[in-house]
Amino acid sequence: MSEPKRPSLASCPCYRDPKAALEWLEKAFGFEPTMVILGDDGSLMHSEMRFGDGMIMVGSEWSPDHRSPVNIGGKNTQTIHVQMDSDIDGHCERARAAGAEILQEPETQFYGDRAYRARDPEGHIWTFGQTVEVMSPEQWDKVAGVTTKTRL
Amino acid sequence: MADTTRIFIPTLYYRDPIAAIRWLEAAFGFELNSLVTDDKGRVGHSEMSYRGAVLSVHPEFSSPELLGPAQLKSPASLDGASCQFVRVAVESDIDAHCERARKAGAQITQEPLDEFYGERIYRALDPEGHVWVFAQPIRTVTFEEMEQATGLKFSTSLDEVKA
Repeated sequence: MSEPKRPSLASCPCYRDPKAALEWLEKAFGFEPTMVILGDDGSLMHSEMRFGDGMIMVGSEWSPDHRSPVNIGGKNTQTIHVQMDSDIDGHCERARAAGAEILQEPETQFYGDRAYRARDPEGHIWTFGQTVEVMSPEQWDKVAGVTTKTRL
Repeated sequence: MADTTRIFIPTLYYRDPIAAIRWLEAAFGFELNSLVTDDKGRVGHSEMSYRGAVLSVHPEFSSPELLGPAQLKSPASLDGASCQFVRVAVESDIDAHCERARKAGAQITQEPLDEFYGERIYRALDPEGHVWVFAQPIRTVTFEEMEQATGLKFSTSLDEVKA
């Protein structure tokens, strides 16, 4: 396969309508589809989307335990954070225009990242972040009154 | 787009994030990069890595102001339901990886097997019910070969999805 190398970890969100999700994620967030696998009946079996060096796999509710948030009362057991390197405010506006529900507007956080939080049409929650000021753990520990360690 | 760095970081919610971090270290060989706790020792944020990729382990969280009707829950709080899973690319010896996970208490839901798409995979549940799929590339397979083997339609474009 001529596909670029797959990253070591990839999130695989489940959708009730994964084809609609593929189209929406492209329009709203700018992710690019790189692989789409369809069954005989035209249903989506597997797909991959890329965004810079990142990859996700968009899929269906493939077992009774794999559910879109829309079918489990809006709850999320995992979410996806997208770390970006430019124009996070423009990205948020594009997402909003495509129908994303912006749960938290872009705002610069105490740890030096500008971040926003959005919900897609099936209820998956996405966070986007862009570092605007590089801060050390010592700095944010002091500002926020938290403790950062590298071991348990 | 070629020069930009944009990465996806899977973020998983646990009832007991500290236990989850310990378990992910022992079972899967993930490494803790940073752990942020408040003055009561509660986890605010954490980052673990595996072969250069990162993921976050967080506690369950609800906040009508920040999340509206959405809630961030462990599968253990939802009768085992999950809205995502994580795919982990293993470089070598996936069978030994599976044995290590099993020994640490992972529930192996799919024993290691060779798939038509050129990977050896296994599936596991962690103690709180998150689904993990491990995959090791074993041979290169073309779209044409996969189509022949499965009868499925492979494509790189959404246009064919719309057709």
